[in-house]
Amino acid sequence: MPTISIFQKDFSQLVGQSSSMADIEQWLPLVKGEVKDFTQETGEIRVELQDTNRPDLWCVEGIARQIRSVLTGGQTPYPFFSTRGRAKRRIQVMQGMETVRPFVAACASLGFSMSEEGLAQCIQTQEKLADSFGRNRETVSIGLYRLPSITFPVTYGLVQPDEIRFTPLGFEEKMTPHEVLTLHPKGLEYGNILTGCERLPLLWDTNGQVLSFPPIINSRELGEVQIGDTDLLVEVTGTDLSMVILALNIFASNLADRGATIEPIDVIYPYETPMGKTIKTPLDMGNGQRVSLEAIEQALGMPLGAKAIQTALVAYGYQAKATRQSVSVQLPGFRYDLMHVMDVAEDVAITRGYDSFSPIMPQTFTVGALSELEQTSDRLRDLLVGFGFQEMFSNILSSRQEFVERMRIAETEHEALVEVDNVMSLNYACLRPSILPCLLRVEALSPRVFYPHLLFEIGEVAQVDLEADVGSRTLLSLAAISAHPGANFSEMHSYLDLLMYYMIWSYDLLPVSHPSFLDGRVGGIRCGDQMVGYIGEFHPEVLEAWQIDMPTSGFEFEVTAPKT
Amino acid sequence: MDAPNQTDSLHPLEIQVLRALGSAATEALKDPEIVQATTLAPSQISMAVGWLLTKQFVHLVSETTTTLVALTEVGTQFQQVASPPEWILQTAQKTSLDGQATTVKDLQATGEFQPSELSRAFGLLKKEGAISLGAGGSLQTTGKKSPSVEALRSLLNQIHEGSQPLKSFSEEHQALLRQYAVKRGNTQEPFRIDDHTVRAFSLTPEGRNLLPNLREDAAQEISQLTPELLKDGSWRNCTFRKYSIHLRPPRLAVGRRHAYREFLDTVKTKLTSMGFQEMRGELVETEFWDMDALFMPQFHPARAIHDVYFVKEPTHAKRIPEPFLSQVAETHKNGGTTGSKGWQYSYDPERAKRLVLRSQGTAVSARTLATNPPVPSKFFSIARCFRYDQVDATHATDFFQVEGIVLGSDINFRTLLGLLKLFATEMAQAKEIRFLPAYFPFTEPSVEMHVRHPKLGWMELGGAGLFRSEVTVPLGVTVPVIAWGLGLDRMAMVALGIQDIRDLFTSDLEAVRNMRRDL
Repeated sequence: MPTISIFQKDFSQLVGQSSSMADIEQWLPLVKGEVKDFTQETGEIRVELQDTNRPDLWCVEGIARQIRSVLTGGQTPYPFFSTRGRAKRRIQVMQGMETVRPFVAACASLGFSMSEEGLAQCIQTQEKLADSFGRNRETVSIGLYRLPSITFPVTYGLVQPDEIRFTPLGFEEKMTPHEVLTLHPKGLEYGNILTGCERLPLLWDTNGQVLSFPPIINSRELGEVQIGDTDLLVEVTGTDLSMVILALNIFASNLADRGATIEPIDVIYPYETPMGKTIKTPLDMGNGQRVSLEAIEQALGMPLGAKAIQTALVAYGYQAKATRQSVSVQLPGFRYDLMHVMDVAEDVAITRGYDSFSPIMPQTFTVGALSELEQTSDRLRDLLVGFGFQEMFSNILSSRQEFVERMRIAETEHEALVEVDNVMSLNYACLRPSILPCLLRVEALSPRVFYPHLLFEIGEVAQVDLEADVGSRTLLSLAAISAHPGANFSEMHSYLDLLMYYMIWSYDLLPVSHPSFLDGRVGGIRCGDQMVGYIGEFHPEVLEAWQIDMPTSGFEFEVTAPKT
Repeated sequence: MDAPNQTDSLHPLEIQVLRALGSAATEALKDPEIVQATTLAPSQISMAVGWLLTKQFVHLVSETTTTLVALTEVGTQFQQVASPPEWILQTAQKTSLDGQATTVKDLQATGEFQPSELSRAFGLLKKEGAISLGAGGSLQTTGKKSPSVEALRSLLNQIHEGSQPLKSFSEEHQALLRQYAVKRGNTQEPFRIDDHTVRAFSLTPEGRNLLPNLREDAAQEISQLTPELLKDGSWRNCTFRKYSIHLRPPRLAVGRRHAYREFLDTVKTKLTSMGFQEMRGELVETEFWDMDALFMPQFHPARAIHDVYFVKEPTHAKRIPEPFLSQVAETHKNGGTTGSKGWQYSYDPERAKRLVLRSQGTAVSARTLATNPPVPSKFFSIARCFRYDQVDATHATDFFQVEGIVLGSDINFRTLLGLLKLFATEMAQAKEIRFLPAYFPFTEPSVEMHVRHPKLGWMELGGAGLFRSEVTVPLGVTVPVIAWGLGLDRMAMVALGIQDIRDLFTSDLEAVRNMRRDL
């Protein structure tokens, strides 16, 4: 979820009326936004935007545009989406780009004098779109340039890594693209996007001046926009055509909102694209649909009627025309998130306000129930609490050291674990295969706590099982321990025996050997013909490994629901 | 309260202490003096004095702390036989007199001392030049005396007489005593250095007032009724000592449910009482059920390596059940039969098999949808989930999500709000509610519920929505479905009086025993 900075005064100007914090908080639900922080002195508001599918809202212009639209009942489409004929300026794409970074979109922005505020917001939008929407520049990256210094047509093509030199932003001396990748901080940060490319993408103008080395860095000569610049070139490159065009559409709309005149640019490809060989950008991608009124009314639970639905959609910025059964809708050019009629229904609800829908309390009768396993678990918990055991509740992600090494089961049949691949910390690297280590951890941390310690926990464990579809099984397991100077096998055996008696489960103990327990003081617990667990006195080496100074014994077995 | 009544409830131990203080020649008595003046053990006296202090019959006049050195059991043995260096010297002398050679190995073989003790002693003797190594590693006395051995011997003898203040020894001896004193992790040392506090007490005026009324027969009073007294009826001839009922009772270690789990128990009871059936799932999930089935595109940022825990081995599930895999794949690609245009990308069925630690409880709901559930029906789960997050006061690596679904042909946005309103009253006793637009990849419309909790004020209680057709249709469900999730941890933390989310699962037994629920 992106979080951005907006400034109260700038926002008020864009929304077209002075806006108090109370106003802003009241309006933000329209964009699924929430104020995270407000600094009175600077007027800076940190806003978190929830909708990962609406990149047009990740900037102050977009937030203000959406709110303004609802407040004023709608908005007229931007003229630059519908200009006819050939554009004044042209970008020629060279053969070969299709395998490296196939798409580019661009427009000119005239007559808006770049303010400090505007530049800061432009840079923020550029970053948010490239990082969050463009997956760290991989699918989308954006560049801004000083238009008057550029002579069109501009070429988007490939060069040999050391064929050409230009001065990248942030440096004084000229470098080749290859040097940028190996020396420039941005080259080091984003260079991996171009891994494996023999030739590298570059934008240059008719006079051979380099605009930028996308998606890495702009040239300093043309690509260092400054406060006071009035005429700009905006360019987006990337690997997904509709995302590239959408990013440009958003950027163009933002500049238009600040007063710029947007002039489209023709992009001419030598290869076929999903939208043809010549694409004039910005481009309204015609994201229109005819959707059923009934579907909207049913989803919202209110017979709103064609007129009310049309009014709500227009107010939210759609072009909408309702007939008796359906409404044809068209999203504004800076949106591309309409997938299903439910998306339209939600926008109707948002415009009208969720509070305008009165809740209907649930009417249908359904039988509630806990699973058999949970019911069994609860019976066991009640019994053990009655026996005097304190229930524990542990995190279940921990280390191999706790689950295997301290339990003395390394290099035995018991050591298999479900392990995490992308480990953040060795302390959270494995799922617990049993609960006893969690209870011993309690003992290790509680030597000065009033004795005796009778502890139990019932919960999920994950055991490796290569037969299972997912390579492991989630089981319900019950573990209990006793720690005090007289703790021994027979005490825990008494508790186990009583537990089995009350559960009416027949069981027997088999003499087995288990590295965690003292030989001759350990039993395998068998229910029916299933081995379900162990009971025993912990081996002193186990206790030493946990630095526990108190005799401790325990049992653990798998719990299954009674077969019905 | 008049004096006779107060004396009735005095414990015989208290009476003895009061008498001792009352008949003393001095105004105040130190605790060893009280021991002498009574027949009581120091622990009994400290207990009785404690009670009398609370009742304000005696008060503390002074308190002095002295550091005392005493012999441990090991020390007494050293004193009577020999300390390790002393023993080495003696043995070496003896064997060389006998014309034999002794090596360090031979010494170890006797088993008289621990190897670590021997090597320390040997190091000391070599350093002080009292012993040297001859041919074949044999120990030889040099005739030089070991100052440490001699000092140790004199200290052992001196302290054997009784414990002594540490200060009464010279600086060097103090250092030596410290070196050979019991420490944590090393209990096999001859000396014990402890702070010893001597307190002096005297009677308060109230305490002095009690003296004339102290019972003479206190020692003959009955403190505990016994089966014998009942059987032979002799209890009739006894007086029962009256208890001081306001004293703190002794501690108990009892059996109890875990307080956080008990909180979750109330949640599941509420949910079943509202007609919800429990669902359970697996800790290890495929990306398919954890994300694909929930219409999160495979390029979704929340699926990256920094958000989800991936399983090391095996990396992929054997299979994803059909027809769900193909139907979900089609839906991602172009909407399939859902009326959606889909995400328009090439879906990777191998990626769907990638195993992860379940990152959201909604995965359990997705699996339930694929089981052809009855209509109408309601389900919930309290599912352990995992997030790739730095652990801190507000983030845990594993935690519980309370979530579920409601299926019904009458389901719509307003019944969704109705259900949430019911949750607000049932779960948070809240009467004021706000519904706000929200975004979840798998629901549309989506809503966030904020409620005014009677104790916590405005808080976010949960998120919900109508499952997108892109979720339900590929899994075989054609009626509308509500998906909901409740964020109850903050409520639980306030109810349990804890500030750090990690404390919900603490391994500190004292904290678990003390945790109690207030809400």
